[in-house]
Amino acid sequence: MSGGTAAKTTPQQFLRRKDVLAGLMFIGVAAFGLWASRNYPIGTAVRMGTGYVPRLLCWILLGLGCIVFIQGFRASAVTLEPSPPIWRSVILIPASLVVFAYAIGPLGVIAAIVLLVVVGSLAGKDSRLVEVIAAALVLIGLTLLVFVWGIGLPIPVWPEWW
Amino acid sequence: MGDFFGNLALGFGVALTPTNLGFAFVGCLVGTLVGVLPGIGPVATVAMLLPLTFYLEPVSGLIMLAGIFYGAQYGGSTTAILVNMPGETSSVVTCIDGHQMARNGRAGAALAVAALGSFFAGCFATLLIALFSPPLAKVGQSFGAPEYFSLMVLGLIAAVVLAHGSIIKAVAMVLLGLLLGLVGTDGNTGGARFTFGATILSAGIGFVPLAIGVFGLGEVIANLISPQHRRDLLTNKISGLWLTWEEFRQAWPASVRGTIIGSLLGVLPGGGATLSAFAGYVLEKKLARDPSRFGKGAIEGVAGPESANNAGAQTSFIPMLTLGIPGNAVMALMIGALTIHGIQPGPQVMTERPALFWGMVASMWLGNLMLVVINLPLIGMWVQLLKVPYRMLYLAILLFCAIGVYTLNNNAFEVILTALFGVLGYVLLRLECEPAPMLLGFILGPLMEENLRRAMRISSGDPMIFINRPISLGLLIAAALLLLIVALPAIRGKREEVFQEG
Repeated sequence: MSGGTAAKTTPQQFLRRKDVLAGLMFIGVAAFGLWASRNYPIGTAVRMGTGYVPRLLCWILLGLGCIVFIQGFRASAVTLEPSPPIWRSVILIPASLVVFAYAIGPLGVIAAIVLLVVVGSLAGKDSRLVEVIAAALVLIGLTLLVFVWGIGLPIPVWPEWW
Repeated sequence: MGDFFGNLALGFGVALTPTNLGFAFVGCLVGTLVGVLPGIGPVATVAMLLPLTFYLEPVSGLIMLAGIFYGAQYGGSTTAILVNMPGETSSVVTCIDGHQMARNGRAGAALAVAALGSFFAGCFATLLIALFSPPLAKVGQSFGAPEYFSLMVLGLIAAVVLAHGSIIKAVAMVLLGLLLGLVGTDGNTGGARFTFGATILSAGIGFVPLAIGVFGLGEVIANLISPQHRRDLLTNKISGLWLTWEEFRQAWPASVRGTIIGSLLGVLPGGGATLSAFAGYVLEKKLARDPSRFGKGAIEGVAGPESANNAGAQTSFIPMLTLGIPGNAVMALMIGALTIHGIQPGPQVMTERPALFWGMVASMWLGNLMLVVINLPLIGMWVQLLKVPYRMLYLAILLFCAIGVYTLNNNAFEVILTALFGVLGYVLLRLECEPAPMLLGFILGPLMEENLRRAMRISSGDPMIFINRPISLGLLIAAALLLLIVALPAIRGKREEVFQEG
């Protein structure tokens, strides 16, 4: 409990505190919700309009977000631990799923798995080519065996133009 | 009592058909698999496999999904003991003494006591479900809209109190879930909410993309960015899966105590496997004549929490099946699964669909029996799986996430939603915001609003209806007391202690 460290906190350090960030996130969501629902009819308690419950929840969330934000001022607030560069994983992991979803219709599930594995493996730092190929082959076999022939999911196996 | 045996007979009749036995086995196998593998948990797995159950009978689907949940409790201990890394959050405490036992050359004994303790706990807890569900459902049937609303408030508050970390953040997460649950067309007024003119959003956000994104993808992103420490697998030290007489004598009372505390905590909203395991460990350490043995391979430190987590996993089905109130994230998904199959969750499930209810209960007992076989004699197979490096494993997780979401409607929109929720899941992990309360809020949101509207119509808009009805008042007082109790500094310290153990 040293007041000295709190005084020296720079705005950048302050913004790396977990409670500050979480509070800002909740406040942001609530404010956005209030803005988006500004024209929803509220109605009365007996005949609640479309906006009654959403606006009520947004106001409560706004209040809670402020409390969490204020907690970030405490000297004991935890700072976000430094992490290696995150963007590769944060972008490529979700992207691998999206690529799969857009590929499966026109290209079939086999090609979609290959694309998912390629994009997905780029997200990791220590992928090895041999392992990636092995993983793709095993996953293709497993998918055909379990999902296509076993359960009979209605998904195309081969490209449309095949 | 004659009723009881008649019901059980009906249940076994359903559970023993070859199809349902098969699905129980698949569920237990998949459950053990995700339990053994760190980095993927039962919530994400149940969410991934849920769309596949559209193609099955409801009872077969639920039997399989249930098997995944309690199977994961068995599998989680294997990794904890052999690798000193929890396969599941519910086996975090098993690492402490289980891995030490393995270092002392007693890996076989640790694995055996975990499996046998879990089996005993599973049998006992299943019996509790069979005994206590019918009376509880009777109580539930007398509930009107105000009582249901108050019950859900209590459920959400309790879930928040028993989650670890900041309570205010957890409440905020519940609200975030409630808001996400509102997206789409309002069933009562027909008005669109938060759809921003997008037709595709008018049906609302599905709980499968939310759960897979936050619990599945978010976890993968986090694991890739900050890799877990190197695994050190103790495989050569599994010598015989038998306990010595001395070990048995020390372990069985711990198992019984763990089963009882786990069964109690499992029923509570917010309870379930993880909390039960922590409580089981703390209890054993408190009761031990020589607490210094803990941390150095005390067998009670494995028997207690492992029995507790399985008992807790099983009894957490009670409020879900009898009242339609989910106590944890997996139960919330089970509620979703019921709804998808056109079954309104609530006390009427037991009377209207006795075959579904009792078939599930009977299958749980059979599943526990299968799990002992899956886990003990076949342990070598799971050990081999642990040798697969995570850099290959996550590709499989990604694919199952993708197939699970895509097969919901065979369109890309839900996959994009999942991708976005994956990023959200990672952000929440970094900011220490527990995602489980959000999922509970998301699932309960529409039900709460419906009951709130009905209650308001009954009382012509007077909110006092929640206080004038004795049962509703009691439930609300319980919720308020819970919040008050955790706000007390003394209790808050204890709460942190339970979650910080180890």
